[in-house]
Amino acid sequence: MKKNILIVDDSESIRELVGNSLENAGYFVLKGINGKDGVEVLRSFDDNVSLIITDLFMPEMDGIDLIREVRKDSIYKFVPILMLTTESQAEKKLEGKKAGATGWMVKPFEEGKLLRIVKKVIG
Amino acid sequence: MENLHNIYLEEAEDLFSKIEESLLLLEKAPDDSSLIAEVFRSMHTLKGSSSMYGSNKVADFVHNLETIYDRVRGREIDLSQPIIDATFRSLDHLKKIVQSPDIPDPIDAKYHEKLTAEILGLLDESEGTDKIITRAKGTKKKTFLISFTPDKDIFINGTNPILLVDELAELGASQVFSYMEKGLSSKTFDPKKCYTSWDILLVADDDVNPIKDVFIFVEETSKIAVDKVFDGNLLSLPEFTSQLPPVDLKGKRLTLKNIQNFISKIPKEVLERQEEENQIMEVEVTEEVVTEETQKTHGSEESITSIRVSSDKLDELMNQVSELVTTQAGLSMYSENNFDPVLNAIADNVEKLSRQLRDIAFEMTLIQISNLFRRFNRVTRDISNQLGKAVKFVTEGGDTELDKKIIDSLADPLMHLIRNSLDHGIESREERVKKGKPEKGTIKLSSYYSGAKVYIQIEDDGRGIDAAKIREKAITNRLISKDDKLSEKEIFDLIFVPGFSLAKSVTDISGRGVGMDVVKKNILDIRGDISVESKIGEGTKITLGLPLTLSVIDGLLVKVQETSFIVPLVDIKKCFEIKRDELSNDFNELIKLEDDKIPYLDLRKEFLIKNEDVPEKASIILLENENNRIAVCVDSIVGEYQAVLKPVGKYYRNQEFVSGATILGDGSIALVLDAYKIIARKIVKQKKSA
Repeated sequence: MKKNILIVDDSESIRELVGNSLENAGYFVLKGINGKDGVEVLRSFDDNVSLIITDLFMPEMDGIDLIREVRKDSIYKFVPILMLTTESQAEKKLEGKKAGATGWMVKPFEEGKLLRIVKKVIG
Repeated sequence: MENLHNIYLEEAEDLFSKIEESLLLLEKAPDDSSLIAEVFRSMHTLKGSSSMYGSNKVADFVHNLETIYDRVRGREIDLSQPIIDATFRSLDHLKKIVQSPDIPDPIDAKYHEKLTAEILGLLDESEGTDKIITRAKGTKKKTFLISFTPDKDIFINGTNPILLVDELAELGASQVFSYMEKGLSSKTFDPKKCYTSWDILLVADDDVNPIKDVFIFVEETSKIAVDKVFDGNLLSLPEFTSQLPPVDLKGKRLTLKNIQNFISKIPKEVLERQEEENQIMEVEVTEEVVTEETQKTHGSEESITSIRVSSDKLDELMNQVSELVTTQAGLSMYSENNFDPVLNAIADNVEKLSRQLRDIAFEMTLIQISNLFRRFNRVTRDISNQLGKAVKFVTEGGDTELDKKIIDSLADPLMHLIRNSLDHGIESREERVKKGKPEKGTIKLSSYYSGAKVYIQIEDDGRGIDAAKIREKAITNRLISKDDKLSEKEIFDLIFVPGFSLAKSVTDISGRGVGMDVVKKNILDIRGDISVESKIGEGTKITLGLPLTLSVIDGLLVKVQETSFIVPLVDIKKCFEIKRDELSNDFNELIKLEDDKIPYLDLRKEFLIKNEDVPEKASIILLENENNRIAVCVDSIVGEYQAVLKPVGKYYRNQEFVSGATILGDGSIALVLDAYKIIARKIVKQKKSA
């Protein structure tokens, strides 16, 4: 069965770009347009999400709050979460880490790198 | 990829108009922190997606802009007019260069440089404390020993330690040693825990930070030690690597002492040569540390529950639904003629369902007019600046929804009307003050529903249109004669006559002779109408009446002999039944209805339908459009009919009655009458004969 990956970003073009790469690599991609929406999508798939990739800076609910919200729920304790950042924002990374993120990727990234990292995290 | 790029362009377009809208509001309220945050966030998103879509020039450009707004947001600088102006110019420039991000045009490239310099200049002025210059510690390769003993519970937050080790390996040449905890048995083994640890010899740049960064997520719970063991690349020396122990899960861990011991056994001259090879020029690097966002933007926007669908798909859907409606009409007709109660019930249901389906599909093709309005917001600002006039631009009813095709074809005429208002309507500041009007003129663009139509109004409080002047000019242009008696409304309508322009001097903004007649033609093309009201000294109001959609109309199906016609319901005022004799003796083509004499049009005559078996009774349909009335004479009225409008083809382009055709349920064709054209033609005729 395909693994589900949730990508949360307020930029449609990023969602599509990342989504397309992952779909071509054989994953099933779910999309959320902001933190709040992302959490809703995640919950509607119960525990069938293998990885969450989230932007940090979004309206409604930002990435850090999304991570906090997700980690609150015991069934999502072990879901890997990758953060997308535009520049290496050290403090944001730390905040995300404290909230429970697994790792991060700095935009811009190449498709190859994205797939390598995703593969490393969820195989 | 092509498709993705289009999404990027669309998104960029959206972001541009969002930023513009916020900026225009910010001009009025420069302290609104939520607006500033909005601008910043949009720029941030734009930068992120631009960098991903490979246009670094765009991304870098936006980055600089973003930095300015970051400082504004952090209250380090005020949002000054120069900044806003520069941003507007930058947006215009960005709109151009997102299309071709390499900026092939040398003029654009030059402008790009100029704007970049200007923005950097603004940044320098606001230079804060966050720009620091760091001297990189050179790029000499060093060898590090990293020992990593993860916390046993490391798996719990989804971290895969192998990933971290791999990430280290990406930093440079490496040798990895892994170990398993001793004394594990199948009884004590817990699959949820991590029993592995690592020692890594890594050759990397002389900076421990990237290495430590790898462990940023686990450093609190795991044991991590990073030590520089040698100023050079040890792993390239066979004298060193030959001393390393074999990789053994149960082996002893490497220590600093081990390594130093190995190094001491390497001949000195080998070590010196290695150091020389590593001499690389030191470089100075300017690094900008981006300030962290301190403010959290709280969501005030409503959650978005919409999806983006390509308009082609929607058109296709509409087309299919149209066909369905046509087919359903056939079914209904057949069922009415065959008295089968079961069939009748089914046909009724299908009719109801397809009508609902049609309505939903139709609603999907509607878009809010606010996007269009927003565009004019910007235009008004630019033009009024150019003309040196102070203008307040107000919009109302931006949530009014219209067919996308209509909105698209409204852009040009509305633009022209607004330019006219700005150029000719609104007076200069001095003139306004002299007249006792507020210094700032107002242009109001509003939109509302009424009946089956949407009305769009452009209202200004400028000098108004002088009916006497129009009359004068029309006489000198020989459009009317001196003795013609025209109502005020008729006089205003003259401005729509081709070649009629009131502007005394031709300016950049308007008055190039092609004008209101083109506007009127554009509006007529989308089955709309246009009217003018004006009072000298008080202002002008132009009203556009538009249909909601272009593809489906509600009409009345009528018959002349065996030929069917559709009359749009919106234009029908009343229907009467008369005796045919009442018409035949009238040479003026006027019919007396409700104590009023109204010109009439006999379809039998106009369409040259044979005068055989003419029924004694005839039906009169009274059409009304803009206070003009005309009666249309037909044999009989069949009933209401929803017509899916199809174009009639180029041979019929110049005819005067018909706006399209539709296919009836039985497969025959009915022409759809264009009330506006009929009235216009008849009235011209009346005037000529009068």
